[in-house]
Amino acid sequence: MRGATSTPRSLGWLLLPALLVLALFLGSVALLFFHAFWGKDGFSLIYFRQILDRADYHEVFLRTVSIAAIVSVAAAILAYPIAWLLWRLPRWRNLLLVIVLVPWLVSLVVRTYGWLVILGPKGFLNETLKWAGVIQSPVPLIFNDLGVVIGLTHVLMPFAVISTLSVLLQIDHRLEEASESLGAGGFDTWRRVVLPLSLPGVFTGLSITFLTSMGAIVTPILLGGVRQKMAGTQIYQEVVYNFNMSKASAWAICLLLLSALGLALLRAAEAALVPKADR
Amino acid sequence: MSRGTISIAGVGKEFGAATVLDAVDLTIAGGSFVTLLGPSGCGKTTLLRLIAGFLEPSRGTIAIDGVPMQGVPPRLRPLGMVFQNLALFPHLDVFENVAYGMRIRGMAAAEISGRVSRFLTLVGLAGFERRRIGQLSGGQKQRVALARSLALEPAILLLDEPLSALDLQLRRQLQVELKSIQRQLATTFVFVTHDQEEATMLSDTIVVMNGGHVQQVGTPGEIYRRPASPFVARFVGDINMLDGRIEAVDAGSVAVSVAGRRIAVPRASVVGNASTGGTCQLACRPESVRLGEAQADALSIEARVSALHRLGPTVKAVLDTPLGPLTALMMADQPRVAELAEGKTERLSVPSDTFTLFAST
Repeated sequence: MRGATSTPRSLGWLLLPALLVLALFLGSVALLFFHAFWGKDGFSLIYFRQILDRADYHEVFLRTVSIAAIVSVAAAILAYPIAWLLWRLPRWRNLLLVIVLVPWLVSLVVRTYGWLVILGPKGFLNETLKWAGVIQSPVPLIFNDLGVVIGLTHVLMPFAVISTLSVLLQIDHRLEEASESLGAGGFDTWRRVVLPLSLPGVFTGLSITFLTSMGAIVTPILLGGVRQKMAGTQIYQEVVYNFNMSKASAWAICLLLLSALGLALLRAAEAALVPKADR
Repeated sequence: MSRGTISIAGVGKEFGAATVLDAVDLTIAGGSFVTLLGPSGCGKTTLLRLIAGFLEPSRGTIAIDGVPMQGVPPRLRPLGMVFQNLALFPHLDVFENVAYGMRIRGMAAAEISGRVSRFLTLVGLAGFERRRIGQLSGGQKQRVALARSLALEPAILLLDEPLSALDLQLRRQLQVELKSIQRQLATTFVFVTHDQEEATMLSDTIVVMNGGHVQQVGTPGEIYRRPASPFVARFVGDINMLDGRIEAVDAGSVAVSVAGRRIAVPRASVVGNASTGGTCQLACRPESVRLGEAQADALSIEARVSALHRLGPTVKAVLDTPLGPLTALMMADQPRVAELAEGKTERLSVPSDTFTLFAST
């Protein structure tokens, strides 16, 4: 009986860490807005105006959104067959899942350097192609947008695999049998039953990989071109090298708005493609 | 041989070391309503899935209308299936669920919509075309599943306990409709259930299964009146079982002694090889137990009424007899039955020709 009365109070203490995290988060966001609108001379919109006016800044945002869009779609397309295989081969599922997740045990920087070894001008791929006589001079695979796309897709694909797999695992195998008993072959069953039912997982993966790519810093710094910045690297530069918190904050807010817009578009696409009753 | 005949010969199925089906021989007549009846684990669902092609037999052959089905995938077999959980496509509406098989076959849009509305009308769901599956009641889902598999006009429809999730009232109603639909279409229905009442109500033929074997094949009346084994007798309807000893065997009857009383059971009611001196089990249905002396040859005993259940039109009495407990089922409007009371002693009789005698082997 004593336990019954004391439980709610002790549970209240458990909320404390969550409240601290929430306070820290809200405080940071408040600080962000403060910096963005409050410069050395009081309230100002100068950094937002700068973003709106400068064509080279437009280009950075456009590149950020394009790369994030390409990466999320590429990750979704590459992840789907892997998720499907994991779903189809229950005996191998745990082993394959470990293989999918093992890169996460390696630090992001190390993984990204791995791509330098493979894709660099004197890297494995270029040397092999040169040796085979396919190319005369190295193909530029990194230190440009392509390198960033390859690196980010690699890093983020496991998210897409897992979110797709988790939805595939909820599909009742009897639905496939029902489809088969109605005359459908494997591909028809996949196209008409499995694919539509797994779309919510694909969209979850798209959202995660899109949002993460939008804020990417390390991969574009290591694999991207020197002058081809993304929004994340620009913010990083403003904070770490220029100590311009106000400009960085204005950029962060714009990035946030663009991410929210992208997410809203994804939601709209999902609502159009996936009937309401299944969600 | 009419369309939709299934011939099963020597079919066995093992899962690893476990034998689930053992040498099943069975012919299912085209256009009939056949029930595979048995307790859970008897192999009835396995047999259904073997016919459907979701499993391949370990031994033996299955042929549909004379065509061997070995290696033929489910989608190429001339049959439809209604699953236990119905397996309706949740992302499609009622129309698209029913149209699914026709879309796969690439039928013309006009024919598809014509057929969908014909079959939705057949199952009583006209006007529900654009409903989503999640908006339907259990009974309506049932009808959609039925329409979906019937819309392709298969020769055979397999049904895997499709009514088991419904409440009794709805179940009864759907049983009646199911049977009338089967009569209209003359499609072979193979229906799996563990509910003997459902089997009796629906079927032209009942296949009673137990432990991977077919125990008996017959009409509901035959199965009830002349069970082929003590298992069938116990599984289909209520039954009283008495132990006896075979005293004499002659051309017309077998004489048995039951706790010192002697009765003569007609040869037609004897299952197995009765030999003098052997033991046997005597089975009789509760409705064969009568109050008072019988006119004809009968087992006659004194019994005390230990419990009395009045069930509306009938009365069920549990009786203590020198042979052990017996259950009797009587019509409530008989004058003597109305006077029955717990604790009273009554004289009972069971006519000899209502017994089934199972000779021990």
